[in-house]
Amino acid sequence: MGMIVDQDIAEARDQFLNQDFDEKTFVIPAEKTIEYARLCGETAARFLDPAHPDFQAPPTFVASLSGSRALPENFPRFGLGMDAGKGVECFLPVRPGTTITGRTHLHDIYSKTGRSGRMVFAVSRIEFFDAAGQHLANADSRVVMREKS
Amino acid sequence: MAISTIQEVVFGEDLPTFIPDTSLAIASQFAKLVGWGGPRFTDHEGARKEGLPGAMVPGILNQGYLVAMIHHWAPDAEIKAIDTVFRAPVIADEKHTISGVVTDVNEEDGQVEIDLTVSNEKGETRVFGTATVQLPLG
Repeated sequence: MGMIVDQDIAEARDQFLNQDFDEKTFVIPAEKTIEYARLCGETAARFLDPAHPDFQAPPTFVASLSGSRALPENFPRFGLGMDAGKGVECFLPVRPGTTITGRTHLHDIYSKTGRSGRMVFAVSRIEFFDAAGQHLANADSRVVMREKS
Repeated sequence: MAISTIQEVVFGEDLPTFIPDTSLAIASQFAKLVGWGGPRFTDHEGARKEGLPGAMVPGILNQGYLVAMIHHWAPDAEIKAIDTVFRAPVIADEKHTISGVVTDVNEEDGQVEIDLTVSNEKGETRVFGTATVQLPLG
């Protein structure tokens, strides 16, 4: 792909936004969430002690769960992709020992122009649900693609 | 002193500075835990061969540090949302400091917003983010 124009972004938005392109189940082992919490520096018992009545995974644990693919099939290659950031929204605690389902869609596509040229940002969102279908959390991954010169 | 309720929070206050353990040992253990093996998180020399200045702390571990900092400040805080921008690599075995400042306080619903920054010893911002946090109403 050559120089990116606004129409490329608009077409990508029309074609790809808000359509689930991946679904995956995740087992949440307690020993893994405890170690995750410990390495992050958490000291609260609700993240470290399985006997705690509110035992739960640390809030950003879902950011470590990846779907089978990060972008939809046939998504245009605007340039070299780099990890630009992560976002997490928490609605209900993720309980260790359960299995959750993650469904991925492209939540946003936008561009910014900086000193080094134009960059395209794609935000992939995984929505996580428990076995009862309750929406637990969202995890956003922001990928920045620099225009090929 | 740890924060227990929203009434104890003052707009503009700084959270106590948090020094995360950014050692290579922790970065490496974390990377392996989440399935991100490879020299860029586990081995300085191997990372340099990939063109990096050294082994990095995984981005999501930096995000985890930010949340841990909030929990050290307010142990009962519930994270509602956190958005993190990875501006530059956090190099393992280099000392980093996390600072945070309260930028909004809503005493009616108990939510606060906190701006958070991970800086290296040169004072350069490596990671920054914003968290929305629910505190007990008291």
